[in-house]
Amino acid sequence: MLHLAPVRLLRQSLLLLRSELRQELRDLELVLTSTFFTLVVLGMFYLSFAALEKKHTLPAVPGLLWLTVAFVGTITLTRAFDREREADTLRALLAAPVERLAIYVAKAGSTLLVLLVCCALLVPGLASMFPAGQVFWDMPLETAALVVLGCLGYVAIGTLFAAGLAGGGGKNMLLAVILYPVTTPVLMFALVTTRALLDNNPNLPSYLGQMAALDVILLGVGALLFEPVLVGSAPARSAAAAQRAARAGARRQESP
Amino acid sequence: MKRKSELVVPLLFVAAAPLVVYSVQRVFLHTPNERTMGTAFKIFFFHVPMGWLCMLMALISGIAAYVQLRRRSRTAGAVALAAAEIGFLGGLGVLLTGPIWGHATWGTPWTGDARQVTTALLWLVIAAYLLLRHFGQHASERLAAALAIFGAVNVPLIYYAVKLWKTTHPTTGVVAKLPPEMWATFWPGLAALLLVSFGLFAIRARQLILAGELDEAYVRLEDSRA
Amino acid sequence: MTPIAPPVLITGLAFHAEPPPAEVGDYVPAVGTSREEKEILATLEDKAAAKTASDYQHIVWAYGILWALFAAYGLFLWRRSARLRADVDVLRRALERTEAGGGPRG
Repeated sequence: MLHLAPVRLLRQSLLLLRSELRQELRDLELVLTSTFFTLVVLGMFYLSFAALEKKHTLPAVPGLLWLTVAFVGTITLTRAFDREREADTLRALLAAPVERLAIYVAKAGSTLLVLLVCCALLVPGLASMFPAGQVFWDMPLETAALVVLGCLGYVAIGTLFAAGLAGGGGKNMLLAVILYPVTTPVLMFALVTTRALLDNNPNLPSYLGQMAALDVILLGVGALLFEPVLVGSAPARSAAAAQRAARAGARRQESP
Repeated sequence: MKRKSELVVPLLFVAAAPLVVYSVQRVFLHTPNERTMGTAFKIFFFHVPMGWLCMLMALISGIAAYVQLRRRSRTAGAVALAAAEIGFLGGLGVLLTGPIWGHATWGTPWTGDARQVTTALLWLVIAAYLLLRHFGQHASERLAAALAIFGAVNVPLIYYAVKLWKTTHPTTGVVAKLPPEMWATFWPGLAALLLVSFGLFAIRARQLILAGELDEAYVRLEDSRA
Repeated sequence: MTPIAPPVLITGLAFHAEPPPAEVGDYVPAVGTSREEKEILATLEDKAAAKTASDYQHIVWAYGILWALFAAYGLFLWRRSARLRADVDVLRRALERTEAGGGPRG
């Protein structure tokens, strides 16, 4: 039996991912809420932009695509980790004898799958609503590669921050406040590449390659930071810290 | 040892004072006007250093945040926050003076130049970091550290992405090569700004460290009473 | 009434009195520059002056904002310092009270 670290990591990731998916298949909560939200956003975009002429939809379609991915991604991540927080499963998972990296991979994988399901609605929707999106039908392989790479980059960062927010136990900050500024590079690369796809730009493969490289960087940083961010404060210390913070706040109000 | 470290901040300011005076009088009295941009070019001498300051502080903040995560160092956390605050200040300076300069020279406050957009996005990350540190309280400090690290990592990525993005938009004119006397004015200004900023940075970092120690002292006092 | 009125009046008269060159055939300008040239120069000078004035305004705003930012941050630091100092004093007094009361020390 092989006990090499990468093999073990892969096996544990797959196991965790399978349990995530099994849980999801039981009630389909994430998939249903996220796809519904995608449809709502699509409908709103249709109502807002249906009157645009073709030459104006050309620069608009990439924006609509990736804005929707950003919105849906935030909703999915928030909901996914809210569930963890409610059942306190994340803490249990972190205490279990599994590689922390495997938790990251599994979480990112399941979120990516949900996002891809949404994109399976979103991309055809945009393609049929806006004439410029016709290219999505004509070049399905390139479109699929683009969507997968873009969503992967987004999820690589999003999982880290959503997990950090859920595991922190502090105030529930808005995920979007943190996530949108940090995800701008991925979204901009995705925008550029989508634009290249719509323009029939011959450099498209090179753009896709750059997106893949970016994804590798982001996954690397995310994997590197996942453990230190999540497994930071020991419970005893954080109780003292909470006390300290409360007292500091009280003192701050006392002093003029 | 303690005495020496306390001398650093006043020394920084003492060194900065003549430099500020020297560089300002040089900017306004001894530097010829740039030919195509006229007098408004004088904004350059403090605008560009502010931009560099913002990037430098984002970098320092990212590195300090990494040390904070790895070593569980409270001092590194204080340094990261102080650096982010100065970076926020520098970024705000660039983002406000940039449009003023642009309005004077190009007639439009915003050209969508790669450097402008990069700075604006970096500034947003810094602002998010400060929000998280301020409102997230102690529990989200590690998450904030991750944000600072991503902010630093993002800088080259954003710059490259915006350059790619710009290829689909009209390009704007770039600043032509500067004559040596302009640089002779530029460097003292940069040095003055850096000295002042590092002085403020040191003060703020020490304040934050002190505040953390105070909180701990309070907790210990209450514990000893209980 | 005002001391500067006469010269202004005189120059005004001088300009007014000067006949347009088209009407007088053998008009020779007294100075080296022609009227058109002078007007062009004047327009350019006006433009340059307007540009400089606008540039100055921009510079004042830019430098004002930069220095105001630093001043505001300095003020913020100063207030923070004062608050910290007050905090230390409160702690010191609390410690003294504890010691006077014979309580255990941490």
